[in-house]
Amino acid sequence: MKMKDCLLVNARYTGKLFLLLFVYFILAAPSGAKVYIDITSPAFKKLPVAIFDLQGEDGEEISGIIRKDLDFTGLFDCVDRASYIESASEPFNPENWTPLGIEAVVKGTVQGEKDLRVTITLFDPFEAREILKKQYKAEKGLIRAMSHSIANDIYAALLKKPGIFRTRIAFVAEREGAKGIYIMDWDGHGIKKFGLKGTLVLTPHWSPDGTKIIYSSERGRHWSIYMLDFISMTEKKVFSSRGVNMAGDFFPDGDSFSFSSTREGTSDLYVFAVDKKRLKRLTSSYGIEVTPAVSPDGKHIAFVSDRGGSPQIYIMRSNGRDIRRVTFEGNYNTSPSWAPGGDRLVFSGRSNGGNQIFTVKPDGSDLQRLTDAGNNEEPSFSPDGRYIAFSSDRDGTKGVYIMRANGESQEKITPEGLRAFGPRWSPN
Amino acid sequence: MRGFPIFLVLILVMTYGYGCKQRVVTQPEAEQQIQPQEEITQPQEVIIEEKVEVIESKDLEPTKYVETKEATFKDVLFDFDRYTIKESYKPVLRAASSWLMENPDLKLLIEGHCDDRGTNEYNLALGDRRAKAVRDYLVSLGVPSAKIDILSYGEERPLCMEKTDDCRARNRRAHFVILSKGE
Repeated sequence: MKMKDCLLVNARYTGKLFLLLFVYFILAAPSGAKVYIDITSPAFKKLPVAIFDLQGEDGEEISGIIRKDLDFTGLFDCVDRASYIESASEPFNPENWTPLGIEAVVKGTVQGEKDLRVTITLFDPFEAREILKKQYKAEKGLIRAMSHSIANDIYAALLKKPGIFRTRIAFVAEREGAKGIYIMDWDGHGIKKFGLKGTLVLTPHWSPDGTKIIYSSERGRHWSIYMLDFISMTEKKVFSSRGVNMAGDFFPDGDSFSFSSTREGTSDLYVFAVDKKRLKRLTSSYGIEVTPAVSPDGKHIAFVSDRGGSPQIYIMRSNGRDIRRVTFEGNYNTSPSWAPGGDRLVFSGRSNGGNQIFTVKPDGSDLQRLTDAGNNEEPSFSPDGRYIAFSSDRDGTKGVYIMRANGESQEKITPEGLRAFGPRWSPN
Repeated sequence: MRGFPIFLVLILVMTYGYGCKQRVVTQPEAEQQIQPQEEITQPQEVIIEEKVEVIESKDLEPTKYVETKEATFKDVLFDFDRYTIKESYKPVLRAASSWLMENPDLKLLIEGHCDDRGTNEYNLALGDRRAKAVRDYLVSLGVPSAKIDILSYGEERPLCMEKTDDCRARNRRAHFVILSKGE
């Protein structure tokens, strides 16, 4: 049986229930407090690391995934293997590495065919010690997930911060005229489609614990909000009324969510508490209010309103008070989303005839443009705030892209020919 | 989720089994001057592949109307990011209002559409506003509002896909569908 490498699986084609174990053990004690890269330092420079191909049949693939993960962060310089003096089978000798300025070396082995057993050691040549020694076991179908876990552990050992290499991105894709909800690993691998009813599905939003998503779907001439629970693999309608009801962000409590609805005229913003079934209206202007984005602390909501004559980004308190405008440049600014630290907003704004991704401080200062080719929309931060997923039509077909939060390393991650958009990065 | 307790037992058994084995393997490595070893068994990931169960409920309408045919009234077109009805379309709407009053068993569905520029959410709200603008005009001509349904499709159901001004203009429309009583 072919094993899937993701918690989220194609539900349409397989109804079988099966179980995988993915177990790993820490073999060595946690390392000390040395932080190898201070990403907040202005003098930051990439950390030179050497990552050997693990010895064993699948070692090259595993090490390749680890290198690609670390490389995308822009924090590491994976040194060319041609310059290694030491071979994979020789014991680690710090003196082979310090002259090259290499600060971390990864060596290890992989054994087994169906069940893989990986042992890795992360060495610090300058302190001549092991920083991390760990064993992982997983079925071969989970090789990508396991490799991402190893990359997370290496990242955490060197930066003292969690990595995002096991996170996922939810998005909307269109095939044969029908839009559906899809989920993939953050690097575009392991795409899964959910077998949902209806041909129009939009705006997925994650619950704070990453176990559910809400989205809007038009079924039987009604736009309602549905919730998909990954634990029970069930879908239920959570809000319905006349008009267009479009799902927005969850609040940190994990129960209530923001949304926009045209139930009482032009589109306004509301909050709905699922358990208590309590509805609260937040805005009541003559203009259109859409796309509510809840700040990480739950105290503010950024949204789009055309009350000033064109769509612009505004912020208000979560109770609907103290509305103020954030964007003033350009005449079409939409899709606000918060950085996890609450210190920046990312949004899509029209500039020279195309839509581009911008970030701005919540007070409207320090506007920065991150993209320049084609139309770029629907940005969403990674949970560590270092990356942004967005949609772009720069190569003809709309697809999902990721980039660093400063605009570097823009890369399409959905396959050619798949019309994909509306990405939302998972919270964990 | 029948059989789940068995899996739990399996997990516990396997965890325990691995734990024991690990202790044996790691002991000799203490001699390599690694710091005292601590063994931590990480929470296990249980990956379950299951069908999405859809639990559906809906309010039953007293009378169900179904889409029977495309109306003969031509689309009302709008300017970019606008929902005001231009004078040139008012004769069309006067004809629609007379027709509605002459056909008491039929209803009119007004679909609001947008071009591909802007976000899906904003365009769904804009399409709703366009449909409502047309509905309100018909109501002002004496059509009972109960005879009109509205539905916004935003930019989701374009007439054409070309990135030209002409195509975009045709997509920014209110479209009419005639609804008749279903079974």
